Amino acid sequence: MSQHLSFDDQIQRNKIKSFFLIGIIFIFFIILGYVISLILNPSYFFIIMIFAIVFSMIYVIAGYYNSDKIALASVKAKKASHTEHRAFYHAAEGMAIASGLPMPKLYVMESEEINAFASGRSPGKAVICVTNGALKKLDKQELEGVVAHEMSHIANYDIRFMTLTAVLIGMVSIIAQIFLRSLWFSNINSGGRKDDRAQIALIIIGILFAILAPIAARLVALSISRKREYAADASGIKFTRYPTGLANALKKIKNEHVSEKDKEHRVSNAMAPLFISDPFKKKVQGLFSTHPPVEERIRRLEAM
Amino acid sequence: MILWIIGLLILIVLIFIVYYNRFVTLENRIDNSLSQIDVQLKKRSDLVPNLINSVKGYVKHERGVMTEVTKARKEFMGAKNFQSKVQKGAALQSAIGSLFAIAENYPQLKANENFLQLQQELAAIEDKVAYARQHYNDSILVYNNLTKRFPGVTFASIYRKSAKKYLEIPVEEKAVPKVSF
Repeated sequence: MSQHLSFDDQIQRNKIKSFFLIGIIFIFFIILGYVISLILNPSYFFIIMIFAIVFSMIYVIAGYYNSDKIALASVKAKKASHTEHRAFYHAAEGMAIASGLPMPKLYVMESEEINAFASGRSPGKAVICVTNGALKKLDKQELEGVVAHEMSHIANYDIRFMTLTAVLIGMVSIIAQIFLRSLWFSNINSGGRKDDRAQIALIIIGILFAILAPIAARLVALSISRKREYAADASGIKFTRYPTGLANALKKIKNEHVSEKDKEHRVSNAMAPLFISDPFKKKVQGLFSTHPPVEERIRRLEAM
Repeated sequence: MILWIIGLLILIVLIFIVYYNRFVTLENRIDNSLSQIDVQLKKRSDLVPNLINSVKGYVKHERGVMTEVTKARKEFMGAKNFQSKVQKGAALQSAIGSLFAIAENYPQLKANENFLQLQQELAAIEDKVAYARQHYNDSILVYNNLTKRFPGVTFASIYRKSAKKYLEIPVEEKAVPKVSF
């Protein structure tokens, strides 16, 4: 790494990038809505948009208000005890002080794998959950690094942010669905349009767009998720001032062997973006990953 | 025309309000992180009697270290202003440190559950003091940037806010502790 980026620069860059990405999803949404309304009937434009927005909002907000409870229940997390998980409490209290955030509620989930996640819609209602394995295998500095990473997801309002992207993706998918279904029922050509061939071309473009847009939007969202991981790594270091701690924790995660059995039953797909490292440990990194490659994260931490 | 002028006036008033609130928020953050340091220092001194009690039964010969710790605690409790509190707190920490160094010679003490717990607790407090201090200095940095950079600097002079000093590390703590074998 040629240039030496300070953590403030990294946080800034990643934030700008992810706002840019949200903008892209929103543009998808507008274009898709526009194309569809051109095909069906231009006067439907606003009705379709409003319908998609309202529907998607209701769907996601219900999830948003219960996100922490849903997340904790789905991994069967238990409240951390002050006597048994003292090291966890000390790390979290230290990080709460260093970040100036209120103390989050702490939970522990049963798993031999090293992992952690944060949830809750605001810093005042935040939850941090780590696995048993993380508490056993990580030393003090490493655990602090991991907790600091989760703390910065809370401080950066990442949970709110990812909820917003979920709403946007929902909107894109919903209008795409509406369009594809409506094609079966509507008699588009009856409107007395002048040019049949242009109309058919438009419909084909519309169909292609309706199929591709939700996929593209999801890819953009995954890319946002990876950006937010880098940002959380960087701002976590702002709290601990010790990049080596988190870097070592990530190395341990990388070298860990998880039995296939353990992989299967713990975590549902939807929960994956919340964790500090991908709970499925896919071998192939790429467009569909929720997390950036561990090697790259370690490299960036060591360059700090 | 008049509407434009009214709009401009409202905008100016809003900017003044925003800046005033920023100063207040940042000052509050500084005060809050300062009190966080205070809380941790207080917790440390509260643990000292427990520590003395758990050590008393084991350590027979080095009574001097224990009186040293008790004395340092008394001085800390007597400290009036914040600066001296921080200083005495640091002195107390180093006294506790030498007590722990002596405890190394007493295997039974080191096996004592209560003692171990106190040792962990005090180590955690030491970290928290460091983190609280870090957050305090971070908050000062943000505040000072606001008071010194344009346009904040103009508002700072209007509201009579001046840059604040960083918390300096007391001399005792800077010295690397000597380790002899």
